[in-house]
Amino acid sequence: MNESIALEGASGISASESRGASRVNLPFEFRGSGGEYFRIWIVNLLLTIVTLGIYSAWAKVRRLRYFYGNTYLDGHSFEFHGRPLAILKGRLIVFGAYLLFVFAAQINPLVVFILIPLALFGVPWIIMKSRLFQTRMSSYRNIRFNFHGTYGGALGVFVGWYLLVVITIGILYPAWVKKRVEYSLDNAAYGTQKWSFLTSTGRFYTFCLITFGLGIVAYAAFIFLVIGVAKGAQAAHGYGPAADIAALAGLGLGFWVMMLGFAAVALAIWGYYQASFLNASFGGVQIGGNYLRSNLEIAPLVWIYVTNLLGIVFTLGLFYPWAKVRQTRYQLENMAVDSDGNLSGFMADATPKTSALGEEAGDFFDVDFGL
Amino acid sequence: MNIPGRYFDGHSSAPLEATLEFDADGMVRVHGLPEPVAARVLEVEISDRIGNVARRISFPNGGVFETQDNDAIDAALDAVRDVVGLRHGSGLVHWLESRWQVALASVAGVVVITVAFLVWGVPAIANWAAGVMPASMDRAIGSGSLDVLDRVAFEDSNLPKARQRELKAMFTRMTSSLDDGHDYELELRDGGGLGANAFALPSGIVVMTDQLVELSKSDDELRAVLAHEVGHVRGRHALRHLLQAAGVTAIATALLGDVSSISGILSAAPALLDAKNSRDFETEADNFARQWLQENHVAESSFDAILCRLSHAEGSEAGKKDFDFFSTHPATGKRASCKAPADAAVAEPAEAPAGAEPSESPAPEESADPAELTDPGEPTQQQLPAEPEPVPIS
Repeated sequence: MNESIALEGASGISASESRGASRVNLPFEFRGSGGEYFRIWIVNLLLTIVTLGIYSAWAKVRRLRYFYGNTYLDGHSFEFHGRPLAILKGRLIVFGAYLLFVFAAQINPLVVFILIPLALFGVPWIIMKSRLFQTRMSSYRNIRFNFHGTYGGALGVFVGWYLLVVITIGILYPAWVKKRVEYSLDNAAYGTQKWSFLTSTGRFYTFCLITFGLGIVAYAAFIFLVIGVAKGAQAAHGYGPAADIAALAGLGLGFWVMMLGFAAVALAIWGYYQASFLNASFGGVQIGGNYLRSNLEIAPLVWIYVTNLLGIVFTLGLFYPWAKVRQTRYQLENMAVDSDGNLSGFMADATPKTSALGEEAGDFFDVDFGL
Repeated sequence: MNIPGRYFDGHSSAPLEATLEFDADGMVRVHGLPEPVAARVLEVEISDRIGNVARRISFPNGGVFETQDNDAIDAALDAVRDVVGLRHGSGLVHWLESRWQVALASVAGVVVITVAFLVWGVPAIANWAAGVMPASMDRAIGSGSLDVLDRVAFEDSNLPKARQRELKAMFTRMTSSLDDGHDYELELRDGGGLGANAFALPSGIVVMTDQLVELSKSDDELRAVLAHEVGHVRGRHALRHLLQAAGVTAIATALLGDVSSISGILSAAPALLDAKNSRDFETEADNFARQWLQENHVAESSFDAILCRLSHAEGSEAGKKDFDFFSTHPATGKRASCKAPADAAVAEPAEAPAGAEPSESPAPEESADPAELTDPGEPTQQQLPAEPEPVPIS
C-alpha cells in the first residue's frame, strides 16, 4: 500500500513559472469533487459490469485522468497518458496467467512450489516495469516523467534486502523501508532532471522504532487491563447472585470499552506511522533546485480514514468516491514544492516517447498493487 | 472563435499564453506564439472530456495546447463534426457521467446485476465448472476428513457385526449401479454428541451413526436417508460449494478491490449467500432421494417419517418456522409433511413396512441434527444430470 501511494505521489511533482531568484512555496491543489467523481465512477462501474469487465481498462484511464487532471501545481495540472487498449491487453494476459496458475494448483498443489522462484525473480521485474509505466505515462506541462531504475536494482532491494531483513530478524527493516522508497523516488526523473532522495536512514529508524515502542506499550497496557477487569469480576464472586450479575454486566461493559479504546489507540499509532512514512518519503525529494515538502498530521489522517471507512460500510460502498476524493485532497493539499522560482527550465528527455514496445511492456505490467 | 489557453512546445516546461482557433478550412491554429503552429483537424488529438479536467489538443509536432474552456472546445468540435465524425464518440460517456439521473439509474443497475449474479450466476457457473472437473477432484477434497472426525467426534459402532454387514450390503446394492466415478462406501460409527446423523464425504463415503439406525423404524427409512446422502455426492455439492465460495470472494474483491480494509467487514454477505446455497444443496439432495425412492418402489413416506422423527428428536426445529435466511438447512416443515404422513404410506403400493407409519417417537436423549437431510419442497434449479439406475431392493 505504501508503495503505491508513493507512486501516485511520485507522478505529482514538478516545477513553476520563473519568479526571479527568491524561493517560493508552491502548494499542491486538488480541484476534483466527490459528487462529480461519484457520477464518473458509478457510470463506469456499470459499463464495466455490462461489458463483463472489458470496459474496466477505459474506466481506469478515465479515473486516472480525472485525478491527475484535477491535481494542480502552480496553476498547471498533471496528465495521465495511458492507453486503454494496451491496458486491456495486459490485463487479459495477466488474468489468463492467473487462471492457469489457479487451475494448475488445483490439480497439483506442488505447482505452487515451482512458482516460488519464479515469483522471487519475477516480482522485482514487474515492480520495475510498473514504475516505468506509471512515470512515463504521466506528464506536467507537456513534459513526461521518467524512471531510470534497473532490474538489478529492484532485485537487490526487493529480494536481496528482504533476505537481509529476515536474516537479521527484522533489525534492518526500517532501512529496507527506506530502500524501497528510495528505489521508487531516487530513480524517477522529470524530463531530463533526475530526482534525488535525501531523507536519512536515521529518520526511518526513528519513526519505525517509535511505532514499535508505542505498539508494545499499548499491547502491554491492554493485557494488564484485561487481567484487571477479570480479577475485579472474580473478587465480586461470592457476594451473592446480585454481585455476580453486577460483575458480569461490568465485565461485558468493560470488554466493549476496552475494545473501543484499543481500536482508538491502534488507529492513532497507525496514523503516526502513516503520516511519518509519507512525510519522510515525499518530503525527501529534490528535483534540481526544488524540494518537495509534505506535512501530513496524525489526527486529520486518522479522522479521514475512520470516517471514510464508516461511510463506505454504511452506504454499502456508495460513499467510496467521496472517500477517495477526501483522502486525495488532504494528502495533496498538505504537500508543496519549495522552489527556486525557476520552474520553466525543465527540458524533455532526449529519448522520450519511449518505443512502442516499451510502452506496451509498461502498460502490460501495470498491475495494481492493491492500493 | 479564439479559445484562450496555454501552449507547451514539448521541449521545455515553459508555458506560453496563446489562443486556439478552429478555422473554417479544417485547420486548427494556435495564435500568439513566436512561430505559428497549425495542423489539420484530423491530425490533432483532442483529449476526451472528463469532468472539468483541462482539455488538451496535441499537435503532430509534439506541442500541446491546454485550455480550461471545455464548452468552447465541444462547440468547436460540433461545428466541424462533418470532418471529425464520430471520432469523439466518447462525448457520450461524458454526457452520461454529468447527469445525476443517469448516476442514480446506474446505482440501481449495479445493485440489480450484482445481486442477480451472486444469487443465480455464481451457482450456475460453479455447477458447470464442477461438471468439467474429474471425479478425482472430489476425492482430493474429502481425503483425510474421516480420520479427523474419527479422532474428535466418533467412536466405533456398537451395532452387532451382523447388522453392520447387512447395512453395508444394503448400501452396496443401492449404489452398485451408479457409475459416476465415486467409490461409494458406508461407514457406521457411534455418533456420541452428534447423535442421530448421517453425512456424505465428497469421495463417496457415507457415514451413518448408530443413533440414526436406532431411531429408524425400518430399513426403508435408512434407504431414504442414504439416498439423500448419495444425492450430495452425486451432485458434487462439496466441490460446487468450494467453487461458489471462490466466485463470491472474487466478485467482492473486484467490486471493492481498492478498499481492501472494507472487504473484510463485508464478508458477512457471502456468509449469508453461503447459507442460501447450502439450503439449495439440501433441497437438491432431497429431490434426488425422493426420485430414487419412487423409481425403486420404496414408500416416499418413509423419508417423511424419518425426517419428522429427526426433527422431533431435536425438538427446537418446529420453532424456527420459515425464517431460514441464516440457516444452512431448510425448515423441516418445508421439507416433509409431518402432519399427515399416513396417506403417503397408503399411496405407495410397493412396500409399506413398519417404518412408513407416521408415528413419531420422541427420542429425547438424543439431539438429532436434521441438518444433513433435505426437503423436497420446491423444485431446485439444478437437477441432477444423471438418472439413478433402478437398484435391487432387499
